[in-house]
Amino acid sequence: MDLFPLYLTIKVSFIATIFTAISGFVLAWVMAKKEFFGKNFLDVLVMQPLVIPPTVLGYYLLSVFGKSSPLGAFLENNLGIEIVFTWKGAVMASIISSLPLFVKPARAALEGVGADLENAARLLGKTEFQIIRSITLPLAWRGLAAGAVMAFARATGEFGATLMIAGNIPGVTQTLPIAIYDAVQSGDDYTANILVGIITLFSFAVLYFAGRFARGRF
Amino acid sequence: MLNFRLKKRIEDFALDVELSVNEELMVLFGPSGAGKTQILRMLSGIIKPDEGNIAIGAEPLFDSKANINVPIRQRQIGYVFQDYALFPHMTVFENIAYGINLKEPLLTQKVNELLGVMRLNGLEQRYPHELSGGQKQRTALARTLAAEPRLLLLDEPFSALDYQVREKLRADLLNIHRMFPITTILVTHDLEEAFMLGKRIAVINNGRIEQVGTREDVFYRPRTRNVARFIGVRNIFAGTVAGVDTEQVIINNPDIGTVKAFIPQGAALNIGQEVSFCIRPEEIIVIRPDKVLDNKKQDNILEGEIDSSIGKGSTHIMFLRVGEGDTLLKIELPNFVLRKLGLANGKRIRVSLKKENIWVIP
Repeated sequence: MDLFPLYLTIKVSFIATIFTAISGFVLAWVMAKKEFFGKNFLDVLVMQPLVIPPTVLGYYLLSVFGKSSPLGAFLENNLGIEIVFTWKGAVMASIISSLPLFVKPARAALEGVGADLENAARLLGKTEFQIIRSITLPLAWRGLAAGAVMAFARATGEFGATLMIAGNIPGVTQTLPIAIYDAVQSGDDYTANILVGIITLFSFAVLYFAGRFARGRF
Repeated sequence: MLNFRLKKRIEDFALDVELSVNEELMVLFGPSGAGKTQILRMLSGIIKPDEGNIAIGAEPLFDSKANINVPIRQRQIGYVFQDYALFPHMTVFENIAYGINLKEPLLTQKVNELLGVMRLNGLEQRYPHELSGGQKQRTALARTLAAEPRLLLLDEPFSALDYQVREKLRADLLNIHRMFPITTILVTHDLEEAFMLGKRIAVINNGRIEQVGTREDVFYRPRTRNVARFIGVRNIFAGTVAGVDTEQVIINNPDIGTVKAFIPQGAALNIGQEVSFCIRPEEIIVIRPDKVLDNKKQDNILEGEIDSSIGKGSTHIMFLRVGEGDTLLKIELPNFVLRKLGLANGKRIRVSLKKENIWVIP
């Protein structure tokens, strides 16, 4: 049995989670700690992937990163990065669709770190960066970790948008969910059952551990 | 020396205060919602005033005209929050060490010193959730003093503690202020605390300072009816000036009758003017029933019926109905006086309001 889809899914999800966590942390921090014009709009925008059909999301990604778009042309001609129909496209699809699942718990966790704790640190002469490192992160890390686990899980299950932007090229961009679809379509029940089993077990494990993380000590 | 003038509008609440504080312990006293905490938050830089200026000595921290707004972390101001805001993931030691910029072994030495001063020895490895209220409060104070602030702000530091702990910690605070004589502003709505801790007191009401002065000034010579009310003067009456000479005034009140009092320094009173006058419940003297009075010597004698009384620890509060209306005079008497005179509800007694104990508010 070909285990490439499993390998690709883990690789894509892992890389996507790193990007999601970094950009999601910045977004969540800004939304939890700052008041600014357009905050509600930004919130709606970040949460869109939860409600928008994945194929529509994939279509947007295609139009933004396609070779005919300015960004896509720039990436390919100047940096040699091809997004469409490569595993990088799958990463991109996973980042966007998992972002809301990270940002929501991360924002709640960051908001849970009381403003006066951070003010106390400011009054003791600390910079914003020192405060994030010594106060905010240690107190919010459970929520952030739970968000990262959810994001990883969402990335492993990503189907619609990935199919649109990365395609279904066996051995190149065929991730686990797409391989399952393929197996079912071609009547290969044996492969489909194994892959479905793997994903199911994994999803249960993720929710179980995410729940344990989220229960804080403080 | 701290000088500030602050203006801030928050929805329909408007704050506008101006104050100078020396190297002393100044108490901001006033009811909840008067704007006391807002003042501390503006001084520390947590919230920005709409208008005004803040300066420590010659150094401006905020000036809306010159567009100066020094960031919080550069202000060197110590702030003890009402709920202490201890870092829950750090031990007592780590909390205190957090704001100290020293290398080992000086760091440990300094923390140990503060642990000693604050009576926290042996608790350094505990986490905040393992401390009692008083220990938390002392840890917060130690953490703040560790950073050697130029100005110390205390927001209702004793409100979360029970009575006995509060008594002890108030005394501690006075000692600590003697050891670290920095400009300190303490916010409280507790009258007893204001009286015990503040050499100077600023009475805040509805976003304004009603009176600033020494504790004696504020407690015995309230300048407005509000101040009189906040400092626990319960007998505040309105009246009309019926006569004045160089130092005394005669005031008429329909229920109480005619009262003679001294004119407060600097006040100009005219006949027909509406004024308020007040007397503290504990300064009303009950006259023994059998005593024969010399009317020429005794002013301000009132007669009334005891309407009700409430025991209050070692004293009793009695309400005396005087005149025809609803006027009740509140009198506080030690329990033994009450027993000796056989005072009970419904009994008619005479009381004397000594001229020197009546305070007139123009």
